[in-house]
Amino acid sequence: MSEPNDTKLMERCNNGDPQAFEMLLARYEKPVFNAAYRMLNSPDDARDVTQTVFLKVFEHLDQYDPKYRFFSWIYRITLNESINWLKKTNRLDVLDGETADTASGPEQEASNEQLSEGMQAALKTISPDYRAVIVLKHLLGCSYQEISDVLEIPEKKVKSRLYTARQLLQETLTEHGLH
Amino acid sequence: MTIDPKYFELIQADIDGEIDDAGRAELESFLADSEEGRAVYEQLETLCRSLDGMPPVEPPPHLRHVLMNQAPVRSAPQPPSGFLRRVFAGPILGYVGMFAAGVALTLALVDSTQISKGAFDDVTSLVGAIADSEFAVPEHGTVSIDKSELAGTVTLRSTGPILIVDFDLSARQPVEIVAAYSDNTIWFNGFAQLESSGTSIAAESGAVTLNMDGKRRYAVYLNNPGMRPATIDLRFTADGQVIHEARLSFSKSD
Repeated sequence: MSEPNDTKLMERCNNGDPQAFEMLLARYEKPVFNAAYRMLNSPDDARDVTQTVFLKVFEHLDQYDPKYRFFSWIYRITLNESINWLKKTNRLDVLDGETADTASGPEQEASNEQLSEGMQAALKTISPDYRAVIVLKHLLGCSYQEISDVLEIPEKKVKSRLYTARQLLQETLTEHGLH
Repeated sequence: MTIDPKYFELIQADIDGEIDDAGRAELESFLADSEEGRAVYEQLETLCRSLDGMPPVEPPPHLRHVLMNQAPVRSAPQPPSGFLRRVFAGPILGYVGMFAAGVALTLALVDSTQISKGAFDDVTSLVGAIADSEFAVPEHGTVSIDKSELAGTVTLRSTGPILIVDFDLSARQPVEIVAAYSDNTIWFNGFAQLESSGTSIAAESGAVTLNMDGKRRYAVYLNNPGMRPATIDLRFTADGQVIHEARLSFSKSD
């Protein structure tokens, strides 16, 4: 039997079906947590934001419009909550390249792990708006159209934001000898 | 750079799998003649591959449980979920849902970076009375304290993955108790006290801190999902002086 789609699950959630909650959680807990983690660079903060996201989803179940895709809705909440969290903790300002420094130097060949750490550090150096498109594209695997839906910006802007974000990441990684 | 910006867009679209046939043909023709273009393509592709290859991070093991507990019940009351279902399903010591007994219980959760609304709800549903045990529930050790400032016992019990640290103490003056659990897979799940006030608790990752005065009976619930061997180090402080230290241990074979 095929898995029920998100809209069906949301309907069942609205009828108080705890199993539907559990299935939605199973489907979205990890992507939401990971998106928050990449936005915030802290597992503890990501955990708190994930809780807030699902609390909001559960509280506003009846406001969900099934003509929009559920993942757009939950990812939008995730990114907004992450940005709110950054504001609340005064971490909205991007860090400079020095702070994003990692143990690697230009002379050191970067291992995959170092590169991944370097990438996470580089993500901190770009503004949350740019970080959001990177997270949506590379972590959540969204298309331009889906990113446009989540962020509620035109597709053209998605492309330019994505391009700039990648350029900035590239510069930071090159500066630190990781690319 | 002398590359026309439209080719940057085509390069990106191709790498992102969002290029149409006409665009691809145009890009191929451009790349065939432009070494610089090919270098840009390669650099962006490498970056994107690295971004795609960032490993996913596993959420904390208890997060699902916490999230499940914050889900609202919309229709008829549902049976308790998750941890509660497990707890109520089998015999558990004296920590039974005995609201009928008329024992007033309150919860005091003052400050926590680890607890959640869900965990709080758990405890609200769970506690009813801290009564004498009428079921056989594994007891893993008791610490007795007999000091001028503080006397009584702290007992470690368990039911399934839940560790219950049962405090039955009498303090002549304000006492702070820190219960530290080093295993980071263990997490604070709730707190119940027999009296309506008198004890406060703050939970953070790896430890709970309790403050009490007078004669108090209360319990701290910890979730040990892997049911792994665990130790809980207790430190009792009065007037800034450590008056007693002890350790309680749980091992699966207990």
